[in-house]
Amino acid sequence: MIVKKAMHEALNMALREEMARDERVVLLGEEIGPYNGVHYVTRGLYAEFGKDRVIDTPISEESFVGVGVGMAILGQRPVVEMMRMDFSLRAMDQIYNHMAKIRYMSGGRLSVPMVLRGPEGPGPNPGLTAQHGQQLSVLFAHCPGLRVVTPSNQYDAKGMLKAAIRSDDPVVFLEPGPLNNKQGDVDDGEYVLPLDQAEIKHSGNDVTLIGYGASVALCLQAARDLERDGLSAEVVDMRSLRPLDMGPALASLKKTNRAVVVDYAWQSYGPSAEIVSRIMSEGFWDLEVPVARVCGKETPLPYAANLEELSKPTVEEVVEAAKKLKL
Amino acid sequence: MMVSSGWMCEDGKVPMSARPQQKLASPPALERRPLDTNTLKNYLRQMVMVREFERLGEREFKNGLIRGYYHSYAGQEAVGVGFLNALDLNRDYVVDHYRDHGHMLLCGMDPKRIFAELFGRSDGVSKGKGGSMHMYSPENHFLGGDGIVGGGISVATGVGLALKQQRKQGLCVCFFGDGALDTGTFHESLNMASLWGVPTVYICINNKYSMGTSVERHSSLPRLVDRAQGYGISTEQVDGQDVWATTEAAERIFRKVRNEQVPYFVEALTYRYQGHGIHDKALNYRTLEEETAWHERDPLKLLTDYLVEEKIASRDQIEALRAEVVGELEAKVEAAKLGSEPQPEELFQDVTL
Ligand SMILES: Cc1ncc(C[n+]2csc(CCOP(=O)(O)OP(=O)(O)O)c2C)c(N)n1
Ligand SMILES: [Mg+2]
Repeated sequence: MIVKKAMHEALNMALREEMARDERVVLLGEEIGPYNGVHYVTRGLYAEFGKDRVIDTPISEESFVGVGVGMAILGQRPVVEMMRMDFSLRAMDQIYNHMAKIRYMSGGRLSVPMVLRGPEGPGPNPGLTAQHGQQLSVLFAHCPGLRVVTPSNQYDAKGMLKAAIRSDDPVVFLEPGPLNNKQGDVDDGEYVLPLDQAEIKHSGNDVTLIGYGASVALCLQAARDLERDGLSAEVVDMRSLRPLDMGPALASLKKTNRAVVVDYAWQSYGPSAEIVSRIMSEGFWDLEVPVARVCGKETPLPYAANLEELSKPTVEEVVEAAKKLKL
Repeated sequence: MMVSSGWMCEDGKVPMSARPQQKLASPPALERRPLDTNTLKNYLRQMVMVREFERLGEREFKNGLIRGYYHSYAGQEAVGVGFLNALDLNRDYVVDHYRDHGHMLLCGMDPKRIFAELFGRSDGVSKGKGGSMHMYSPENHFLGGDGIVGGGISVATGVGLALKQQRKQGLCVCFFGDGALDTGTFHESLNMASLWGVPTVYICINNKYSMGTSVERHSSLPRLVDRAQGYGISTEQVDGQDVWATTEAAERIFRKVRNEQVPYFVEALTYRYQGHGIHDKALNYRTLEEETAWHERDPLKLLTDYLVEEKIASRDQIEALRAEVVGELEAKVEAAKLGSEPQPEELFQDVTL
């Protein structure tokens, strides 16, 4: 049955269902227990599953990610929460050198079936500032050995998190912070979604808007605004950054011949750079004009309200970029 | 039952009845070395200013002028007052964590510019770019709040090492919470500081909670000093409610650190009255009994009671002082509101040179 849920509730449903289904699923993270998680994703799970399955950690990110790796090697299914993805910077050694590489370094004899999850980007609330609202997705997507996925709506959030927990590969599950409290449709029944497939979220003919995570919401709003101006935009949700599934975007370009890539992350070397590069090598002959990009401005996230707004990609910028391509 | 109610932060939560005294994990308060009248009056004014600043800040948050994070220092004043007054800010430096408003005031920073930063104005301490957790004032030798738990501890170690190399006889004071003891960087830093003889004083403000997690639930040992003792440096617990105790400890410790060029670890036992941050309202992780017990040893109350008992000041005079400080701070709030927001082109300034 389809029900309306906030993103964090959809994620919560996924955790609850997987914990009930498989007792190897264990949660680790800061304030995820009696405090119920600062972004509410683990709400109620401590009461339901107890302290051995919902483990409150000290502020020891590097080591509790490593604990997750160790548990995963022995067949548990740890789901490790970063209160904010920014704090995963503390754990990068465990993520890059252990979580990601143990399968390869062991010649495939070991696997690390764990999930590292948490919110990224400038939201849900404003004023997160420079050390708490960063979009660091590229750091994970750069690293072979990880699967990196990010949902853009509540339905995908649930189905993809369930798939991530069942995956025998380590998965970095990036939750779009700006959408954390947004409501949308979720199926309260059993389903899982693929972890390696992009999807068209809105169809159109004139221009292709490509995003992932929270930037898909900007693309969808831009598509509605463009429609009013007589332009039909197709919206592609990449959903997975590693592996990157270019199929739907390239197919879309065949009809629109124009693309705007939208990303909360910084532009230089970011996921948008990889997407544009793939278009250049695999879809160049379909392009009428160069691909445009609308990204987070290349500054730390500023505090003042006006500067924070200026630093983020906006619907208006996407609309403007799309219109320019049609001139 | 005199809990000078104006100074209790949590409206409606002010403990009104005498409850059993909370047992501190610290040794009984030291014999009070007398502090002179002017010093005590000055301390009272400072504590009132810090307490009232936070009250006004939280009010302005609720009014929508402040966004994002707000971590109140209310309840912990005697730690900052004792330790920061003992510093010589001509040569010493402070590295702080995100619960930084009180420490900035005590380092002599202008409340107007702190409010301006909280309001996101271009004349704020960080030109509106930093916000509550990220203010730096080199003139005041205040090298930042920091939003990353434990993030300042190695920086403070480096500041101490630089001071040593520059032979300035200066020292660095680093503040952080009980939760920061769980970071690797804390342990790595203490090891280096001990190895190299770094004149940094690491002050762990143990307010019993790391967000919603009590020390018992996040620390393998309940006494945090015990966790700092493996590095061959001096450590001690201090009663963080008692400004005499913090002052005595600060003066003695700073003398040793300055003269011997060694690090020092202090665990100051205190309590935060508000939630972790302004959004943490539930406080279902601690009991009213516990809050009450700590309010009964409120640092402002201890000082006020003493001043009254010793006839240094009357309650009316103290209330008048409070009103005067509030008046001054209200004027700073109004002045800060007049500032303009940053110009759009400032977005890209100060990323690199
Ligand atoms: C590396 C890192 N992990 C997690 C957080 C989120 N966080 C901010 S403050 C805090 C609790 C810290 O408590 P404590 O050190 O006791 O300081 P207090 O807030 O009590 O002053 C947590 C978990 C963070 N800012 N940085
Ligand atoms: Mg604490």
